[in-house]
Amino acid sequence: MSTVARKLLSIVLLVLVLAGIYALATQKHKQREDIRQATVKLTPGCAEKLSRYGLVRNERYRSPYVLQRTGTAVSLRGYSDEDVRAIQRGCNIIDDTQGKLARDPALERWNTTRFIRGSHASCDHCHQGIGDKQDAHGNPLKGSLSLGASWVMADMYDRFTGMLLPFELRQMQCFINSSNGYKPNIADDVLRDVTAYSRFLSAALALKIGKHYDEQGIDEIPASATPKQGDDYVRGEFLYKEKCQVCHGRQAFGLEANGQLVAPALAGPNAWNTQSRNYFYYVSTILPGFICRNMPLGAENTLSNQECRDIAYYISNLPRPAGDRQGPIIALQHQALMTFMPPLMRLMESPRKGGVAADPAPERDK
Amino acid sequence: MSQQILSDSDVRGEEKQNARTRATAWKIPLMVGLMLSFVLWAHFASGVRVFHSESTSESGWEKFRADYGIAYFGQDGQFVRAVQNGYNLVNYTHKYAARFTRKTAADRVNSCASCHTPEDLAYGFVNSDRVDPKLGRRISFEDRVRWCYANGMDGFVPTIYDPAVRDIRLLARAVAHHLQLTEGALRSKN
Repeated sequence: MSTVARKLLSIVLLVLVLAGIYALATQKHKQREDIRQATVKLTPGCAEKLSRYGLVRNERYRSPYVLQRTGTAVSLRGYSDEDVRAIQRGCNIIDDTQGKLARDPALERWNTTRFIRGSHASCDHCHQGIGDKQDAHGNPLKGSLSLGASWVMADMYDRFTGMLLPFELRQMQCFINSSNGYKPNIADDVLRDVTAYSRFLSAALALKIGKHYDEQGIDEIPASATPKQGDDYVRGEFLYKEKCQVCHGRQAFGLEANGQLVAPALAGPNAWNTQSRNYFYYVSTILPGFICRNMPLGAENTLSNQECRDIAYYISNLPRPAGDRQGPIIALQHQALMTFMPPLMRLMESPRKGGVAADPAPERDK
Repeated sequence: MSQQILSDSDVRGEEKQNARTRATAWKIPLMVGLMLSFVLWAHFASGVRVFHSESTSESGWEKFRADYGIAYFGQDGQFVRAVQNGYNLVNYTHKYAARFTRKTAADRVNSCASCHTPEDLAYGFVNSDRVDPKLGRRISFEDRVRWCYANGMDGFVPTIYDPAVRDIRLLARAVAHHLQLTEGALRSKN
């Protein structure tokens, strides 16, 4: 083959490859556009919540919640069909991040699992009540990580990152650390839909921009809010076995039954990593605050501050994944811990089964 | 004999080394001095914004600060400085966002404030992230700001992370807080 022919062939091949990439990108864009236009099948929780907040396509939006609580109808800008669908998709992502209730998770949840390691993490585990936890009377609960209240307080100085943290970047941190996963692009539909839902919640609850509400974030519990007995691993273990083990499992690796998640992992490969703010050794006030205000489910606010700190301390000593910035050696160390510790612990506890204490918790209860 | 030759070579080598040391001895303090001068110049005298986090107090800032209750967010701090930079960007766009506009001081319309009041920005912010029927897609507040730079300001598009975009959003947020706006708040017609 002559040199000219060879060069021509190279150029043709290059053009074909580029055209193939272009065609693939066009097809992906079209697929995403089709999803944006498709009717959203809501999870049962989202169907209930969005219907209660009166989300429909209209020129004006008047929140039934605000009307019921204040007796005044406040007229806000309404939502178009596309806005409604974005809010619905955002709600679905919060309620069912892994797409376990979806027929096709890749399509219906924007394949959100690509940003998550493990099979447990879901936004709703921390942002309970689909990001809007309320008591039986409809009052938002203190320290319940409300997404609407977070939106109105976004962009403020964040002491952990040392920056003015936009809402989208905060979501990225959730994916990286709390879900031990990967960072979505700032323009990704996942982030945009969650933002749309959070903004809708703030409209439905009539939350004012820049105002701090009790339900925003965590009601942090520092050591100074305890009798200063010191955070105790042994007390924490006892409390964990008494209060948490029944749902989260003996080694806090979570519980699954019939392919359904009963309770998420607090340790092990499906849990948050050591760069998450939930990790006691990184921030010692957040996990205790979360436990006190949000756990155990149905019996919130029943644990004392010291008990919450003890449980958080105990949980944070269990093996879990290393953070992305901690390098391969630490990652390997944590991986080894997660692999070898559970069988070792089972081995250590097994002789007690036939002997003095089948379950250590009741014994210590005496 | 060989010892004699070696020592001669050693002596010559040592002399060379000493000469080299003498020749380079002044370079270290010079380099340190240069670096130090650069740091001092950059921090105190350059006026280049990337070297310091303070915002320049332009005329009208104190009135704006009082009118919109910026002190609620503190007398100073990251957020307040960002809002102040936002104020500068909005009112003196040709000066503070020169990279993103072709407008100059000589132009009649040369800043965001030529078309928008702070209230416009605040209402725009709480009504953003909605579908624009003309474009057929959802448009964020940042998209609008970038569009303004490219069109209204006859310039170039900043990235979404650029302080030239971010600080205008923060200004809008601060004003929205002062006006006690909620998401989707509508402007009264009177």
